[in-house]
Amino acid sequence: MKNHFELKMPSDGVNEGFARGVAAAFCLPLEPTLEQLSDVKTAISEAVTNAVVHAYDGVGEIRLFGELDEDAHTVRFVVEDDGKGIEDVQAALQPFYTTRPDDERSGMGFTIIETFMDDMRVTSSPGSGVRVEMMKVMK
Amino acid sequence: MGLEFKRRGKDLCLTLSGDLDEYTARSLKAEADRLIEARGFSTVTLDMGGVTFMDSTGLGFVLGRYKKLRGMRVEMLLKNVPPQVDKVFRTSGVYSLIPIVED
Repeated sequence: MKNHFELKMPSDGVNEGFARGVAAAFCLPLEPTLEQLSDVKTAISEAVTNAVVHAYDGVGEIRLFGELDEDAHTVRFVVEDDGKGIEDVQAALQPFYTTRPDDERSGMGFTIIETFMDDMRVTSSPGSGVRVEMMKVMK
Repeated sequence: MGLEFKRRGKDLCLTLSGDLDEYTARSLKAEADRLIEARGFSTVTLDMGGVTFMDSTGLGFVLGRYKKLRGMRVEMLLKNVPPQVDKVFRTSGVYSLIPIVED
């Protein structure tokens, strides 16, 4: 069995929780453990929060895509925006790095996605938005 | 995100409940700081028992309070950390700064 979905939503903070719920529900056919489900919710929360906080001055669009392959026991998600993009992706991936230190941002978002998921890829350049791809094997 | 507080002797215990994410944390900082700035205690214990979800925003909130309290020479402690929250804390190494206490 394979499944997929595509979702557009505004970069409003209320959608951090909404996106977590959508991602968790989507994984259920793979019969994830509680920990695996928590891992997905946490990683999605990080990526969506990054877009809410950083992508736009004001509110813009966030797109969430999901793909599931029951035979391969994998789930993939993409969180994408059309915002200002990341100046230095390598720096952004470093633990504790943040462009908003005064906001009490921990700078751990990408580190958490990398740790909680099995694969992560971040694509961005200034002015071209951000695309975060992540994958988890749920056996 | 609910915040309740209780004073037990020289300890101020802050009990959090619900999801702790960027959206719910927005009002939490002001509320927590108001309680902290009242002073008159030597420790602040964060009871995480009712936290149903936390991401790195929660980490930022905890570390922000830790820095503030350190400036006031008040010790911070964590209590009743649920598994999902514990995993986020362990990933960031927060326990090297803030110990967990048993009840």
